[in-house]
Amino acid sequence: MTRVKSSASRTAWLASAGRAALLAAAVLGVTSCSGGAIGQDTPVSDGQSFVSGSYSSTFYAAGSRPAAPEVGGETLTGQHFSLAGYRGRVVVLNFWGSWCAPCRSEAPALAALSQHFGSDQVSFVGDDVHDSVIAAQAFERTFGISYPSVNDQGEQVALAFHSTVPPDAIPSTLLIDRSGRIAARVVGEVSYSGLRALIAQVLAGKS
Amino acid sequence: MTASVQSQGSQGGVPDEGQGGGTRDARSAAASGKFGVIAWLRWGWRQLTSMRTALVLLFLLALASIPGSVLPQQGIDPAAVSRYYAQHPALAPVLAKFSGFDVFGAPWFAAIYLLLFTSLAGCVLPRALRLAKSARQAPPATPRHLGRLPYSAAVRTTAGPGQALESAAGVFARRRFRLRTGDGWVSAEKGYLHEVGNLLFHVALLGLLASVALGGLFGYKANRLLVEGDSFANTPTALDVFRPGRLVAATDLQPFSVTLRRFTASYVQSGPERGQPSWFSAALRYTAQVGGPARSYDLRVNHPLNVDGVQVFLIGHGYAPVFKVTDGTGHLVFDQAVPFIPVEQSGLTSAGVVKVPDASPQQLGFAGVFLPTAVDVGGRLASAFPAAVFPRVSLVSYAGDLGLNSGQPQSVYDLDTRHMHRMPVSPAPLAPGQSITLPHGLGKLTFVGYRQWASLAITYDPGQLPALISALAALAGLILSFLVRRRRMFVRVGAAPDGGTVVELGGLTRSDAAGGFEAEFAELAGEIRKAVGGSAAAEARRQPASLVAGTAAGARPGDPVEEPGGEDVAMARKGE
Repeated sequence: MTRVKSSASRTAWLASAGRAALLAAAVLGVTSCSGGAIGQDTPVSDGQSFVSGSYSSTFYAAGSRPAAPEVGGETLTGQHFSLAGYRGRVVVLNFWGSWCAPCRSEAPALAALSQHFGSDQVSFVGDDVHDSVIAAQAFERTFGISYPSVNDQGEQVALAFHSTVPPDAIPSTLLIDRSGRIAARVVGEVSYSGLRALIAQVLAGKS
Repeated sequence: MTASVQSQGSQGGVPDEGQGGGTRDARSAAASGKFGVIAWLRWGWRQLTSMRTALVLLFLLALASIPGSVLPQQGIDPAAVSRYYAQHPALAPVLAKFSGFDVFGAPWFAAIYLLLFTSLAGCVLPRALRLAKSARQAPPATPRHLGRLPYSAAVRTTAGPGQALESAAGVFARRRFRLRTGDGWVSAEKGYLHEVGNLLFHVALLGLLASVALGGLFGYKANRLLVEGDSFANTPTALDVFRPGRLVAATDLQPFSVTLRRFTASYVQSGPERGQPSWFSAALRYTAQVGGPARSYDLRVNHPLNVDGVQVFLIGHGYAPVFKVTDGTGHLVFDQAVPFIPVEQSGLTSAGVVKVPDASPQQLGFAGVFLPTAVDVGGRLASAFPAAVFPRVSLVSYAGDLGLNSGQPQSVYDLDTRHMHRMPVSPAPLAPGQSITLPHGLGKLTFVGYRQWASLAITYDPGQLPALISALAALAGLILSFLVRRRRMFVRVGAAPDGGTVVELGGLTRSDAAGGFEAEFAELAGEIRKAVGGSAAAEARRQPASLVAGTAAGARPGDPVEEPGGEDVAMARKGE
C-alpha cells in the first residue's frame, strides 16, 4: 500500500512539476523577446561598474605569471604607446576614469609613487576608460599625474587582457614584471603603502 | 496528468490522500523496531521528493526573493547599497551578515533552490528509470480466466489447438503486437509508445531543469548605454550593469566590441497616436574578436545582434546633450555628451546631471532637464514631441564638493548636493550654442548640442536552446502519452468437451483514457475468428462460461446476450 501511496503523491507532484516546467518554458519564451519594450521603460543602469568597498589583491609567483598581451594605442596627449616598449622595466598599469570616485581617491597615491620610483626601474601607465579626453586631462592636472595614459574609450586595452588577468572593475591595477609577465593584480582602490610594497616585491623578483 | 504509471494502478489498492507515503514507511518501520539510519535516510529522501516538500520549497523560494526586491542589491545597484549603509548605519551591517544585499547569491537562497532541484530530480529520475524498464518489458503471461477481463470473447473451431494458437499469434504479429507465448496461450501487447511518451516527458523535464541551471551557472546579463560615436568592449569594466552566473569569470566573456554609429527614431507625426514611436534603428559596427574584421549591423527592436551566442538587444534610447565647461582658471575641463534619462515618454523630457569634478577653484555640478521639443505651457516648460525639433536645456547650477574625491562610489545620474551650494543663476532654457556664465568667476557652461544614445542589453544564456528543445520534447512526450494507449490481448486455447478447440480471447487496456479499444478488440476478435476458422457467435460466447470453473463471466445478468445486426463475435464488457 505504501508503494501505491507514494506513487500517487508523486503523480500529483509531477502534475505540478509539469505545470511549473511549462510555465518556465513560457517565461523563457517571453524573456527571449525582451527587446520589444523599447521606449516603454528605459532600463538604464544607475551607475558605472566600479568596486564598492571590495578590494582584492593577487600576487603571482615568478613561475606562474601569465604573459601580458601586446597592447598599445594613442595616449591622451596623442603620443603612441606600446607596452612592448617597456620590456626590462616593471610596469604599473592602472585602469581609471575621471568620473570614478575610487579612482579619484587613489590618484594621489599613484602620483606620489610614480615620483617615488625612478622611471628607469618602474614605469607607470594609465588606461583611461569610459571617459572623455578633456575630462581625463583635467583629472591629470588636478592630481598632478605626469605619466602617460592610453586614451582607451572603447576599452580595447582592457579587452586585450580578457583571456589572462582582466581588470575586473574600475579602478584596477596590474603589475607587469621586467619580462612582460603579469605579476600582480589589484582590483579596487590602491593605497600608497600597499602598492609600494607590491611594486617592491615585483622589483625584488629575479625575472 | 497522464504522465502516471498505470502498472502501479493495476497492482491494486486505491491511492489514499493525506499523509505522505514516507510517514507511513517510518511508522511501520518504527513499529517493527528496525528504525535505523538507513530507514531515516530513506524517510528523509521520501519526504524531500514528495510533492508537499516541493511546494513548500517553491513557496520558500518566492518568499526568499522578497528581500531581494525590497533591499538594494550589490550586483544590481552598488551605489544604492552604499546609500543604504549611510542611511541605516546600524541595520546595514546586520543585513549584510545575512546576505541581505546579495540575496540571490546568499547561501540560504542557494540552499532552497538546490533542495528544490534535488527534490525535482529525486522524483523525476527514478520515475524515468521505471518507465524505461516498463517500456522494454515483455508482455505478462496470459491469466487463467480470460472471462474476467474487461473485454473477452470466445471462438470455437475445428482446428487443432496448436494451429489455432499459431493463427491467432499471426494476427497479432501482423498488427505489430509484442508477443509472448506459453503452453497453450499467447500474450500480446501494443502501445509501448505510451511509455516512450511518458519517458520522454520525464527526461525532458529533467533536461529543462538542467537547462535552467546551465543558464544560471554559465550565463550572464549586462547592460550598456552607448552614446552615438562611442564604443565599448564586452568586458566587465565597460558594462554599466553586469550580472554574471555563478560560474562566470571575466575571462569567459566573449571578446566583442561594439560602436554605435547612429541612432534613428521616427515618431507618428499626427493623429491620436502622435508622438508614438514608429521606428527605431541603431546602426552598429562590431568586431567579434580583438583585431577581427569589423562588420555592420542594423540593430532594431526584436532584431538582436548575435555574436558568438551572445545576444545584444536594443532596449532603450534617449538624448545626451553635449556640454563644454570652462573653469575659473580658464581651462576647458569638460567637453562631452551626457546621457539624460527620459522621465516621460510622450515628449521624451529627460533628466540628467553634469558633474565637473576637475573644475578649479571649485567643483561644479549641474542638474536639469533636456526638452526635445520645448514649449511653454502656462509658464512651465514642457516637451511637446519626442523628436528633437526645438531642443532646449534647463539647468540648475551648483558649486562646492561633489563628494567624488572621497572614494565613495556614486551614480553618474545623481548629484549629491549636500556639500554644494546653489548658485544664483537663472535656469532659463538654453538653445544649442548658448551659455551660462557662473558668478564669482567660477566658470562657464555651454550647451553645444545633442547626440542620441541607445541602451543595449547583452544576454548570454547557454541554457536557452536546450530549454527550448526540452520544452518541445516534454510537449511531444505529453501528446504521445495522451494519444497512445497501452493494450494487451490474451489468447488461450483448450479442448472443448465435445471435440474441437475453444479459443478464448481477453483484452485489457491500461488507460482509462479515451475509448476506441472496444472497437479494436472487436476487430481483432473478428480477425482471429476468421484466422482460426471459428464457428458461430452464440455458441462461442457461451462456451467459455461453462469451461471456466466457478465463474459466470459472460453469463451475468445484464450482459448483452446478442448484438443486434448478427455480429459473429459476442463481447462481454464489464465495468471499468
